[in-house]
Amino acid sequence: MRAEPGSWDLGCPLWLLHRPGAPILSAKLWMRGGSSGDPEGQRGAAQLLAGVLSRGCGPLSGDALADLVEGCGAGLRCEAAEDATLISLKCASDDAAVLLPLLLQMVRSPWLVDDQIALERQLNLQTLQRQREDPFQVAHDQLREQLYGQGPYGHDPLGVEAELRQLERGALQRQAEQLGQGGAVLVLAGAIPDGVETLLLAGLEGQPWTPTAPERRRGPQGLSATALATSPDETEQLVLMLGCTTTALGAEQALALRLLHCHLGIGMSSRLFVALREEHGLAYDVGVHHPARLGDAPFVMHLSSSAERAAEACRELLNEWQRLLDQPISAGDLELARAKFRGQEALGRQTSSQLADRQALVLGHGLPMDFADRSLEAATQLTPDDLHRAATSLLGRPCLSLCGPTDALRAAEREWQRHPLSRPES
Amino acid sequence: MPAAAVQALPEPQHEQLSNGASVVRIDLPQAPVVCLDFWCRAGSARETEAESGMAHFLEHMVFKGSEQLAAGEFDLRVEALGGNSNAATGFDDVHYHVLMPPEASNDALELLLDLVLRPRLDAEDFDMERQVVLEELAQSEDQPEEVAFQELLRQACGTHAYGQPILGRKPALEAHRPEAMAQFHRRHYRPERCCLAIAGPTAALGSDLRQRLERSCLGQLRPADGPEITPPALHLSPGEARLELPRLEAARLLMAWQLPGAADQRSVLGGDLLTTLLAEGRRSRLVERLREELRLVESIDLDLNVLESGCLVLLEAVCEADQLAAVEREVRRVLLELQEREPGEAELERARRLVGNGYRFSLEVAGSVAAMVGNSALWQRRHSLQAPLDWLEQWDRAAVQRELVPLLAPDRAFSLQAVPA
Repeated sequence: MRAEPGSWDLGCPLWLLHRPGAPILSAKLWMRGGSSGDPEGQRGAAQLLAGVLSRGCGPLSGDALADLVEGCGAGLRCEAAEDATLISLKCASDDAAVLLPLLLQMVRSPWLVDDQIALERQLNLQTLQRQREDPFQVAHDQLREQLYGQGPYGHDPLGVEAELRQLERGALQRQAEQLGQGGAVLVLAGAIPDGVETLLLAGLEGQPWTPTAPERRRGPQGLSATALATSPDETEQLVLMLGCTTTALGAEQALALRLLHCHLGIGMSSRLFVALREEHGLAYDVGVHHPARLGDAPFVMHLSSSAERAAEACRELLNEWQRLLDQPISAGDLELARAKFRGQEALGRQTSSQLADRQALVLGHGLPMDFADRSLEAATQLTPDDLHRAATSLLGRPCLSLCGPTDALRAAEREWQRHPLSRPES
Repeated sequence: MPAAAVQALPEPQHEQLSNGASVVRIDLPQAPVVCLDFWCRAGSARETEAESGMAHFLEHMVFKGSEQLAAGEFDLRVEALGGNSNAATGFDDVHYHVLMPPEASNDALELLLDLVLRPRLDAEDFDMERQVVLEELAQSEDQPEEVAFQELLRQACGTHAYGQPILGRKPALEAHRPEAMAQFHRRHYRPERCCLAIAGPTAALGSDLRQRLERSCLGQLRPADGPEITPPALHLSPGEARLELPRLEAARLLMAWQLPGAADQRSVLGGDLLTTLLAEGRRSRLVERLREELRLVESIDLDLNVLESGCLVLLEAVCEADQLAAVEREVRRVLLELQEREPGEAELERARRLVGNGYRFSLEVAGSVAAMVGNSALWQRRHSLQAPLDWLEQWDRAAVQRELVPLLAPDRAFSLQAVPA
């Protein structure tokens, strides 16, 4: 792969990752300001806008846009996550000439038709409702509220029902005008045609767009206000999520935490898999959720276990967390975690989409182009004590979220109350 | 014709070991990893009634070690080399795959074959892993959508194995013993029913691979004494049912149709084409009518499940409970319209491009290439990677209308309405 900066006079960077092989092109336009940027009383605005952006832009109605994209057998999606709105295109490289202009056209001249906003809003409301079927989603939503309260990371990117219902065109128009202003980056990967800058800029149709380059600055913080929260549900299993807010991608100790993530939750030799599944048979699905974030990222251990084993599952999960605080992992375990970290990096570079996605995320965070390679190198220097220091400084006050049958909730709650983690030293 | 559709694709190299085991290699020199994918015709459709869930339970037990490998040792060694592994059990087959950095792929190959073909099935591990499988079953039963799909298959497929849960029934799982599992393994893990697929920079495996495979436990596996007993053909029964489910937040309309089995690959591509025409993308017929125009559904999907005894097309529409009748009426109307007038050239071309590019995009990943060629070789379909794209081109409007559309007639479907209790 050969990486080179694109040449254009917009304020945000353009990177071209030339990759030999299949004639496929992937593009990722990452724009800071996802659901964490939803204005007060308008939670769900970023995602609603993202959905509507592909419902007509420039000279193309929603139908015409869909005809063009689907007619090329391409994929064009726009989604809001917590930190950013991301437009993704994947197509045969020979179709790039007709499809690439759409990226900036969607940003600068979306149609934002009332009727299409109403449809997209209805779909998002229905999805929010359907998600409640999943006890993992219920426990996850609950934990998010414990960790972030009403803060920027405190809601599902889809929004909050009461506020989503009120969102109208005016709010989306204001959001659309801000796209790219907080920092943006465009990354293309694969077989990139010559003159790609001209193709991209054609989408602006002569209109100004003044995005800025992403800067390194601190994102939203956590609260970790409510230590325990429970949701009764008539399920077979109890879902347990134990987590806290930590730190941003690229921050001090973030790499140590990433290695702890690899140690605990990556692969079938991971600590949680072996201790909770293989040695105790407590769960089928067990792992760690630790997404890359601009702000205080969550670090969550999760599993689901039969209601009758709720107490044991809760106790073992708490003990695993406590172990991180009490003692450094062994040198051998650290070496294994490093191997997994390297392996994850290699596996994440298989497709043009993966390449573009990872690089857009890194650059969007205001980190250098070679951040991944630097991290691999830096990981070789970390010691078990470094990881232990990261654990004690970042994982000291976890919150527990439970969803399941009432008896199981009670049993798990009793374990929590008697465990040292429920009474952290202030 | 876009460039993605004309680039020459690598050719799978097929070999057969002396004992009948298949080996297929495909060289992807640019891939950062090698995928080793071991396939066996030992899915849940090979179980007797008492063996319910055995194929999947065995897949779990395989990772508990072999004569040479302690429980967890395989994962540890693979992951310490920067690789990872996993497995999946289907109705027809099971496969175990490892992704490795090329330089470590030879080590992983030996470990994988030993693990899969000589599982230890220790009694204590067996009891512990049974708990894990029961937890997996419980987790799936907490997802009402999965419960609804299982019920659809049960009613639509009747006594056929496709109507039974791959995870198994709880009483049967609780009754399983290691000896019976060993017997199941001996019965089905035979060389003529196995295939090893390798995709990635295969040069790393060396020029003597064939000889080493002959000497490996795959090459040493003894062929079965008797003929292979294959599951019967599927005969899906049309019909309808209604189901009330606790914890369901949105109603579901689920429908199932039968298409020719996977051996008829031209029909498989045709099925893919037709389901895409109907339900992939905003301009597909069902999405456009039910979601975009009438706004009756949150989503509507139509998936082709490629199966040996008969492919299944499964529809899922998510909607409010009071809209279910209207949703079903409109689905039937769209399908009847298709019966009456053949699809337009533009919409067929749109579907062709979506299917073709989806296929091309999937070839970027060594794991998905290995799965494709491995599964094909397992079932003795030795076609090139280009062949599916050629079959796709062969389907014109008249052929789709004549051969495929009648198979998706509303009255050939089993239809299940699932509503919140």
